Amino acid sequence: MTAPLAEIENLRVAFRNDEGQWHDAVRGVSFSLGREKLGIVGESGSGKSLTGRSLLGVLPSYARVSVDKLSFDGIDLKTASPKLRRSLRGGRMGMILQDPKYSLNPVMSVGKQIVEAIRIGDRKLAAAEAHRKAVAALDAVHIREPERVMGLYPHELSGGMGQRVMIAMMVVREPDLLIADEPTSALDVTVRTQVMSLMDELVTRRGMGLIFISHDLNLVAKFCDRVIVMYAGRIVETLDAKNLRAAQHPYTQGLLACLPSIDGSLEPLPVLNRDASWLEAAR
Amino acid sequence: MTLLNTPAADPKAALRAARWKEFRNFARRFFRNPLGVVGLFIVVLLVVVAAFAPWLATHDPYLPTLSARLAPPSAEWWFGADELGRDIYSRLVHGSRLTLLIVGLVIVTSAPLGLIIGAVAGTRGGWLDAVFMRITDVFLAIPKLLLALAFVAALGPGIVNAALAITLTAWPPYARLARAEALVVRNSDYVNAVRLAGASEFRIIVFHVIPMCLSSVIVRMTFDMAGIILTAAGLGFIGLGAQPPLPEWGAMISTGRKFIFDQWWVATVPGIAIFTVSLGFNLLGDALRDLLDPHLRQRK
Amino acid sequence: MIDVENLTVRFSGSTAVDNVSFHVAEGESFGLVGESGSGKSTILRTMVGLNRHWDGRIGIAGMDARTTRQRDLARTVQMVFQDPYGSLHPRYTIGQQIAEPMLINGIADPLGRTAELLDMIGLGPKFQFRYPHELSGGQRQRVAIARALSLKPRILLLDEPTSALDVSIQAEILNLLNRLRKELGLTFVIVSHDLAVISYMCERLMVMRNAKTVETLTREQLRARDVRDAYSRQLLAAS
Repeated sequence: MTAPLAEIENLRVAFRNDEGQWHDAVRGVSFSLGREKLGIVGESGSGKSLTGRSLLGVLPSYARVSVDKLSFDGIDLKTASPKLRRSLRGGRMGMILQDPKYSLNPVMSVGKQIVEAIRIGDRKLAAAEAHRKAVAALDAVHIREPERVMGLYPHELSGGMGQRVMIAMMVVREPDLLIADEPTSALDVTVRTQVMSLMDELVTRRGMGLIFISHDLNLVAKFCDRVIVMYAGRIVETLDAKNLRAAQHPYTQGLLACLPSIDGSLEPLPVLNRDASWLEAAR
Repeated sequence: MTLLNTPAADPKAALRAARWKEFRNFARRFFRNPLGVVGLFIVVLLVVVAAFAPWLATHDPYLPTLSARLAPPSAEWWFGADELGRDIYSRLVHGSRLTLLIVGLVIVTSAPLGLIIGAVAGTRGGWLDAVFMRITDVFLAIPKLLLALAFVAALGPGIVNAALAITLTAWPPYARLARAEALVVRNSDYVNAVRLAGASEFRIIVFHVIPMCLSSVIVRMTFDMAGIILTAAGLGFIGLGAQPPLPEWGAMISTGRKFIFDQWWVATVPGIAIFTVSLGFNLLGDALRDLLDPHLRQRK
Repeated sequence: MIDVENLTVRFSGSTAVDNVSFHVAEGESFGLVGESGSGKSTILRTMVGLNRHWDGRIGIAGMDARTTRQRDLARTVQMVFQDPYGSLHPRYTIGQQIAEPMLINGIADPLGRTAELLDMIGLGPKFQFRYPHELSGGQRQRVAIARALSLKPRILLLDEPTSALDVSIQAEILNLLNRLRKELGLTFVIVSHDLAVISYMCERLMVMRNAKTVETLTREQLRARDVRDAYSRQLLAAS
């Protein structure tokens, strides 16, 4: 078995609540990632976003993080210097966020932002060369008229285009690992399919590892190779995407069952009965 | 099926309890900020000193003792004596009442006035908004001290006139602040929901918009208090605010100016008092803003 | 019960709703499906009186929406908004907010009725004295539903009622809505971008795109994939 691209062992993230007490948002999460598409599914409060951000090292300073092992391509991130982590971020590890309205700088043109992303990786790159690379990146995400889009501002872009720009920015430096945190949740359903197939193409063609974080179990199962289901800061089940229907854990089964479907029954939807034992569940 | 119907038995008490719990949470978060606590302490000290001035003073603040003119700080004259032999400490203590009076007068008139004008303008929009905001712009354009000077020159010097003059220029920022909040709040779903129930514009402005403007206004008030103290001191310094023999701190600095090199205490002590009180209000305002401003919230 | 004819809404240059017509019978649940910018939310807001600039005809339970006062409309049609985190006033307790429409309209025994409503939506009487920030998204949405029902309207308009909620909470809210509809004999108009939710909740639905009506379908047609328009097919395939 080839060495894993990323490994996390026993990740714990805690925050202070209003009363001043520490509350564990992520409680002992462990998994490893190869050059595959891994989905992390959970509802709000499950800790899935925090897990992705811990790998990148972009948690807020008031969070308390502890982990037994955190490595990326053999590099021990736990003991790595902030400088090293910063150089990995954006270069070899990228992240796509949910809403391009909020993750793109509203006062800079799209072209400027992509060029800036390129230049962070290679400070000596000539302006013309950086521009050319940026246009190529926009082309790679199937944006028509990339030269024209370079001059647009984020508010002039539609949701789907904005997300593609985000993807272009993150992929332009050819990272080995991409973390996508609800990348299609803010998009219309017809645009969603296009962006998902774009991501599929990029990941497969460039051999990237992808962590796809979402609340949409069916979407993740369709797109990813493996799925991790999280609940209340813990992993309750790990399975191959194709075996989703055969999920063992009652929480996963409950999530699948409570969704309305066009062809489904019109009886009251089965409601998730949260069992206290799930809070203690191991993998 | 209602199992525990006890809350319905005394809804007023339960509501009070809920409100008290909110306040306790707020207080707990406030006390985690050490600078805020320092600011609060200074402000409370000011209020206490003003309240108990006659008991805290060692001498009569108005009685001159010509034999002790410009006496340095000593066991008898704690902060020294001024050019008429009056105890500076006692004058300081009594002067705190004047400071509090001016600040109180201005805040109590300017903040509500600005709040109402801004909230109404922001919620109604249209020509009302335009008219109110142009009026606000006019008053905003006039420098504080200049208007106060003109006012006091026309009406005659004195504390109340000085307070009135400062109020005239103090209300516009509140109007701007309240209007900004109102613009956001008037389109929110919770206001729409109440509109759907048939609520009148009056009800919406008074019960729904204004409560949401209060946070910014309160924060602004604490910062303003420092500014008002300085403006009042400035007026007193020029001789247009409190008139002698009133122990207003600004007037004390003015008379002490002549002796600044040899008898530094006459001007410096009231100056330190003004500085401390302004600092206290500013620290308090900072702490309140960290707590109340939704944009600065650290947690999610 | 609801008659919308040739509704057109224009906002400073752009057309949000373009000549849309539909009818909803009493007791029916009607869905408006479409993506962002299709105009479905604008239709709802216009129907309930939040938007007063429109052309066409809107009849609500026999009343002409253009000439009826807000107070009279309020006792017939109410709305539940999309964002549970924005539809409750942060500074008032749940009990105060549910009772307010009753206070405004002079309805007797607002306290008793509040307790009744809290019961109906599955929250206990203790919730009367809680503040919105103490409640979860699902609980807040329930409170919004209770508030909407406080004036005993016959029609409930729901603007993406579960889009901001977790999937397991969505199931609870949808079940609640169906139960209430049956118990109180309500008429629903539900807006959503989620075709599965609309199909589950509504007997008839209308697909919208770019301010125009694309197609009106019944649930049976949807299930049988008896869909004419290419855009509707696209939506169906993506769901």
